[in-house]
Amino acid sequence: MSEQRVGVYVCHCGHNIAGTVDVEHVAEWSANLPNVVISRDNKFMCASTGQEQIEEDIKEFDLTHVVVASCSPHMHEKTFRNACARAGLNPYLFEMANIREHASWVHASDKDGATNKAKSLVSAAVHRVIHQEPLQPMQVDIRPETLVVGGGIAGIQTALEIADAGYHVYLVEREPSIGGHMAMFDKTFPTLDCSACILTPKMFDAGSHPHITLLSYSEVEQVDGYVGNFTVRVRRKARHVDEDLCTGCGSCWEKCPIKVIDTVFEAGLGSRKAIYRPFPQAVPKYPIIDVENCTYYKSGKCRMCEKVCPTEAIRFDQEDEILEVEVGNIVLATGFQLFDPRRIPNYGYGRLENVFTNLEFERLSNAAGPTEGKIVLRDGVTEPESVAIVHCVGSRDKNYNSHCSAICCMASLKFAHLVMEKTGAKVYNFYIDMRSISKGYEEFYHRIMEEGASFIRGKVSEITDAAHTPEEEGKLILVCEDTLIGRPRRVPVDMVILSAGLEPRADAQEVGYMFGAGCGDTGFFTERHPKLDPVATVTEGVFIAGACQGAKDIPDSVAQGAAAAARVLATISKKQVNLEPVRAEIDESRCSGCRICNNMCPYHAIDFIEADGVSRVNPALCKGCGTCVAACPSQVINGAHFTFDQLIAEIDGIMVDVTAGALEVV
Amino acid sequence: MKAAEKSTLFDRVVKATPGGEALAQCLQCGSCGGSCPSAVDMDHSPRALFAMINAGMEDEVLGSNTPWYCVSCYACTTRCPQNIPITDIMYTLKQMAVQRGHYDHPHAIKFSETFIGFVEQRGRGFEFGLATRYHLFHRPKQFLQPTQVFKMGAMGANMMRRQRLPVRPVSIREIDQLQAILAKAKVVAAKEMQA
Repeated sequence: MSEQRVGVYVCHCGHNIAGTVDVEHVAEWSANLPNVVISRDNKFMCASTGQEQIEEDIKEFDLTHVVVASCSPHMHEKTFRNACARAGLNPYLFEMANIREHASWVHASDKDGATNKAKSLVSAAVHRVIHQEPLQPMQVDIRPETLVVGGGIAGIQTALEIADAGYHVYLVEREPSIGGHMAMFDKTFPTLDCSACILTPKMFDAGSHPHITLLSYSEVEQVDGYVGNFTVRVRRKARHVDEDLCTGCGSCWEKCPIKVIDTVFEAGLGSRKAIYRPFPQAVPKYPIIDVENCTYYKSGKCRMCEKVCPTEAIRFDQEDEILEVEVGNIVLATGFQLFDPRRIPNYGYGRLENVFTNLEFERLSNAAGPTEGKIVLRDGVTEPESVAIVHCVGSRDKNYNSHCSAICCMASLKFAHLVMEKTGAKVYNFYIDMRSISKGYEEFYHRIMEEGASFIRGKVSEITDAAHTPEEEGKLILVCEDTLIGRPRRVPVDMVILSAGLEPRADAQEVGYMFGAGCGDTGFFTERHPKLDPVATVTEGVFIAGACQGAKDIPDSVAQGAAAAARVLATISKKQVNLEPVRAEIDESRCSGCRICNNMCPYHAIDFIEADGVSRVNPALCKGCGTCVAACPSQVINGAHFTFDQLIAEIDGIMVDVTAGALEVV
Repeated sequence: MKAAEKSTLFDRVVKATPGGEALAQCLQCGSCGGSCPSAVDMDHSPRALFAMINAGMEDEVLGSNTPWYCVSCYACTTRCPQNIPITDIMYTLKQMAVQRGHYDHPHAIKFSETFIGFVEQRGRGFEFGLATRYHLFHRPKQFLQPTQVFKMGAMGANMMRRQRLPVRPVSIREIDQLQAILAKAKVVAAKEMQA
């Protein structure tokens, strides 16, 4: 090994590190570590002066390696790597010791201990860094096509933004029509504009855009490849209707003799036919045959739709089609599902007939819904004289979902307004905390108070029909503590609306696994950084937008959809992308072909090459996690930047006695 | 000793209750007060009591009748969205009130002691014995008033007729084992008190 010349820089981070760790002492002590030619401390290494210091020293002292002891590499590894690169040093000859998160912050009450730990961490980095090798980032080409999964408002927005920029989008939607939850809603808060009126133009644009291939009633089955070059297999479920011939005239569903309760779009309150279009503004406009309920598929008879279809578009024998698309980027906008309030038995949903969910109420209130917008009890005729709206149903509750669903406060206020406007009923809102944090929301809250809604601060304990007094007879009674009075209350009403929370879709884990996006502890997809990178995932080229990332309302979903589109467009316009060279490599001459690594790899990056009888890592897919390196029974997989030499040297460095020449304890 | 003096009421309640750390996360939602069958008789709902514990209102908290009205049905605990062991905290508060000798409801504690006496003796509650012993020992004057005797006698007879009030106490099997456990628990508790 030729002469190694290491520069060490210990950062004060203002008081963040220096308040606990004796930074000057760590820098002095580090000067005596092997191969160190210069060791300095600095108030803020990340400031331009700190970076320039590194650049100057590399040139002046002819440094071969650099160690910065400061914060987490997540924060500033890139910063210092770039500083090294500017001075002509390969950025992978730089190593970072985290003495803030790992020393000063967690040992704030033990200054000597924290200082010793900081010395250990610097020593580890100094020992390790001399074994690091120059690495070159990999460049891959980016295909300009994009896959958007989910045709709710977030997915539609993403698709339109990208398509408007002139690049092709495949928009995949599981249901027969795009539109998602927003298509079911009546009004939107806080402006009370009609949901369909603002959504349907976007749906129409997405359906007719020359750069959007709309794959409705379709599901992604398999994803292969890596950023820039994904191959996606999509199952187009059979509609049993020839889309090239169908005009969407409606003769088929008018004449279809089978009525089915619509549990999807009408939330179980209305019905549709066995051949149906989910709602009048559906995009695409073509109907589908519900095979489970269609008489033809049960008994081979009927074929009424076929008889009445003027363009002969009915295809009873149509089968699922498998389509393969090549895309450069993927945006997941798979949305949310509603919490099922049956899980809270004391709220009586499903048992007490006039307890409704928020989605049921949206359909009741919608002019295009089953009651044509009339707010009535389950009997279909009686207008309620009093209505209770229960917030936080299944949200902010460790027995169900601990997260706040973000939309329920405002949606509940909207319900209060609609009930009062349409029926004049007395409205009670049962809330724990009112959250009206976006633009115009607090004003909306004040407006609803002014309109006369009652607000009771208390989580409802129980909804019952067991009356205690004559006034409670025949009513639903909400039992709670009015926490602002500090007394228990029983409030009798005719109708209850449960503001059920938003939760991750039941198959979020599976879908995440397929696309390489992880789920956090609440089950929503995890963003790369909660504040600074909210629409990216840990997988390059896979982005997330809308409620699949966390409960959010329409404006935020639209903003994220547009943000994800901007990220996709940025990579498309770069045409190529740099990938971290921290990857695994298999020494094929020594690989026994046991394939243990194939299944261990969480990124599906290792394939078995039949012809050669060995496994091979696809470097564009590999994330350098090291699982295969540890799993290989022959020890022939090398993780670049995490080699055995480097790790052993790091451990040697940690073992150095840091108390020799330590601080005198005051 | 100094540390004990310094520690707040909140810290002491948390420390004395298994799982008590969750108390720090009370949302003040009122699920407990709304679920409690005795809430109407309590001077503060459990939720309000927790806020008072947080505010260090020791005299008011330990003088409150709330813990003494708790019937240990655990409805609050099962419904609490923050998984606070509310019923267990009620026991902690009762203990603290007794240890301090500070409580505004002497009848409650005597009633509780009488009840526990039967449990220690037989491993079970015994309502008939509880009612007679409690009243005769602790409230003889009120109990022996003719109207009271008639009122309570009538209620007792009614309950007996419906087989809700057995006249004979029932003991559990192997009562000596339970008593050994209780004796050991008392030794441990006494040690902890000293420490």
